[in-house]
Amino acid sequence: MSGIGTGYDLSTGTFSPDGRVFQTDYAQKAVDNSGTVVGIRCKDGVVLGAEKLIISKMLEQHSNRRTFPADRHAGMAVAGVAADGRSVVSRAMAEANQYKSIYGEAIPGHVLAERLGSFMHLFNLYGGYRPYGVSALLATYGKEGPQLYLVEPSGVTYRYFGTAVGKGRQGAKNEIEKLKLGEMSCREGIQAVAKILHQVHDEEKGFEMELAWVCEESGRHFQRVPQQLADEAEAAAKAALEAEDMDD
Amino acid sequence: MEPGGMAQHDFLSQPVSMGTTIMAASYDGGVVMGADSRTSTGTYIANRATDKITPLTDSIYICRSGSAADTQNLSRYVQWFLEQHGMELGDEPEVKTAAKLAQMMAYQNKNFLQAGLIVAGWDKHEGGSVYAIPLGGTLVKTPFTIGGSGSAYIYGLCDKLWRPNMTEEECRAFVVKAVSHAMARDGSSGGCIRTVTISKDGVKRTFTPGDQVPVAAGELPPPQRAVPAQV
Amino acid sequence: MAQAGGFSFDLCKRNEFLEARGMKGPGFTKTGTTIAGVIFKDGVVLGADTRSTAGTTVADKNCEKIHYIAPNIYCCGAGTAADTENVTGMVASQLELHRYATGTQSRVITAMTLLKSHLFRYQGHVSAALVLGGVDFRGPHLFTVYPHGSTDSLPFCTMGSGSLNAMAVFEAGYKDDMSKEEAMELVARAIRSGVMNDLGSGSNVDLCIISKEGVEYKRNHEYLQGKTYERQFPQRFAAGSVPVVRERVYDIRKAVTVVEGEPMEMES
Repeated sequence: MSGIGTGYDLSTGTFSPDGRVFQTDYAQKAVDNSGTVVGIRCKDGVVLGAEKLIISKMLEQHSNRRTFPADRHAGMAVAGVAADGRSVVSRAMAEANQYKSIYGEAIPGHVLAERLGSFMHLFNLYGGYRPYGVSALLATYGKEGPQLYLVEPSGVTYRYFGTAVGKGRQGAKNEIEKLKLGEMSCREGIQAVAKILHQVHDEEKGFEMELAWVCEESGRHFQRVPQQLADEAEAAAKAALEAEDMDD
Repeated sequence: MEPGGMAQHDFLSQPVSMGTTIMAASYDGGVVMGADSRTSTGTYIANRATDKITPLTDSIYICRSGSAADTQNLSRYVQWFLEQHGMELGDEPEVKTAAKLAQMMAYQNKNFLQAGLIVAGWDKHEGGSVYAIPLGGTLVKTPFTIGGSGSAYIYGLCDKLWRPNMTEEECRAFVVKAVSHAMARDGSSGGCIRTVTISKDGVKRTFTPGDQVPVAAGELPPPQRAVPAQV
Repeated sequence: MAQAGGFSFDLCKRNEFLEARGMKGPGFTKTGTTIAGVIFKDGVVLGADTRSTAGTTVADKNCEKIHYIAPNIYCCGAGTAADTENVTGMVASQLELHRYATGTQSRVITAMTLLKSHLFRYQGHVSAALVLGGVDFRGPHLFTVYPHGSTDSLPFCTMGSGSLNAMAVFEAGYKDDMSKEEAMELVARAIRSGVMNDLGSGSNVDLCIISKEGVEYKRNHEYLQGKTYERQFPQRFAAGSVPVVRERVYDIRKAVTVVEGEPMEMES
């Protein structure tokens, strides 16, 4: 047995001698090569944005979704293997539903994030399973206010002011750090996200942008940003980028 | 049952039940819960100083009526569920959640239980709130509610006396008066009056001994004790 | 059809039918009983009579109704004798394992919770009515546990068919913070009241005093009904009680030969 894995990457049931589970690392790689997904928490809500690479000119608009609602007050954007993403979303919906039916109230963001983390973690434990090739950004707006979470294939969860996953994550994160998130409304947020996604997109092929939010304006409901607003934000973002290019 | 043994005292084989008066009422800033202290098996008073107001969390309590065994054990389950829930939540559970859990237990096991419950308490989201869970296992949020066999006698009184935005003292006086009237007319209610007051400032308990319960019309005043009761 | 396993309840239908036609089924041994307990200044006194009945017949004139739960906890039982003995035995065993696991003294409330959970699960079919008492790091505790799984916590309590008699004595004579002697006298008087006035109770008074210092189990503290006849043991017969019918003497040397042998080698 030789090569990079040297046999320790064949199963999630095996640690490598230096303490890694290679299958988990590979799942993370599946995410890292995916289209960029960005999430920011503004003062009145959370905005999620996804860069969807257009793999064919024959592709219909809005197909191959990357953002999904999980409950009235919670939704997700997934990067990585799209099919895995839908499975994780379906679990999130089930968890949110079950929580409400037992406790009589909407599931808080951190509980949903932890439960999804626990769920995804299970697939890192047994030889017969593979981890989800998905990082999920979770946006919620409950009693504790607007919150943004990231759940990784390993099952680790984080809470962020703003973050990005996928191919352009590094550039996107640099841009997010420059934003004044505490003073920004979600209206401004969608424009910022649109701008970042255009900045970090570096392929010849075009991309479709998907924007979703949960904020005061949406009545604290998770929804995709209305098409007109999204188009305006994208146009404004493009204009701003062109203006910056002119300055350079 | 054995002749000559327990046959004459069939209370031993009867389930212990709380022919009871229980109630809870909300006021400006919290809730007051009240109950009598009588537990009977048939015609025998098995416990004349019962505490029918049981804690579910630090700031949520439950008034129990019906079978003592059923309601005690149901409460233990709800306590356990709430403890688990509180840990996952990383915060104090809400009154609504406690009431929902009690209601689920009561409804899912309705054919095996004899339990009339009142869940009340205080949480930072809703303030004080009162939930009634009558025999069938429905869940009703109400400003005040009464329960148990003694409640039949005081519906009119409570409808007349309860009003919104009472002070804590007014509300507690209302509860003590209502329970004392139920105890006066209902043979299955009696003994002492216990109240639990829950607000953002915490939990306060009061205890009114039997000989200090307000006297209703037609009743003799209680005999004087040699040593006054410690209230 | 051959049954794979488990219980067969086929005969229940038959018995139901026969009982409907007037057959009287066999009864259980029940302890029509007086049991009681009080909390005193630094502990708990438990008391019980010692009569066990089967129907109207006294099955045992001097049985033990104060059961061991833990070194610091005892429990009086009324109801079906088999149920009280087994349920207390089960809890005693669970608590012993719990002590091995935790290395701490058992708590009375733990015993109470185990008892009520078990009794509640069996919905009153395990007919054990108990008075549970003990002392733990929080001080003395006294509980009554009913067959359906409800519990009461009181400074004095009684159970069994004689509980009314005993309670009358307690209501008249109980005081807070009694001395050990006062408490023992009160409990003994309560049990005596059951023994004298309740048909289901009788014979003697057992007491069990539990305090921080330890346990005094006073079996037959009051020996109210001494035995009318006592079996002599070992039974002695006067010489010549049995007539000799025939005598025969054998010479064993004619039947057996003794051969000398070598002792066997043993490995060290």
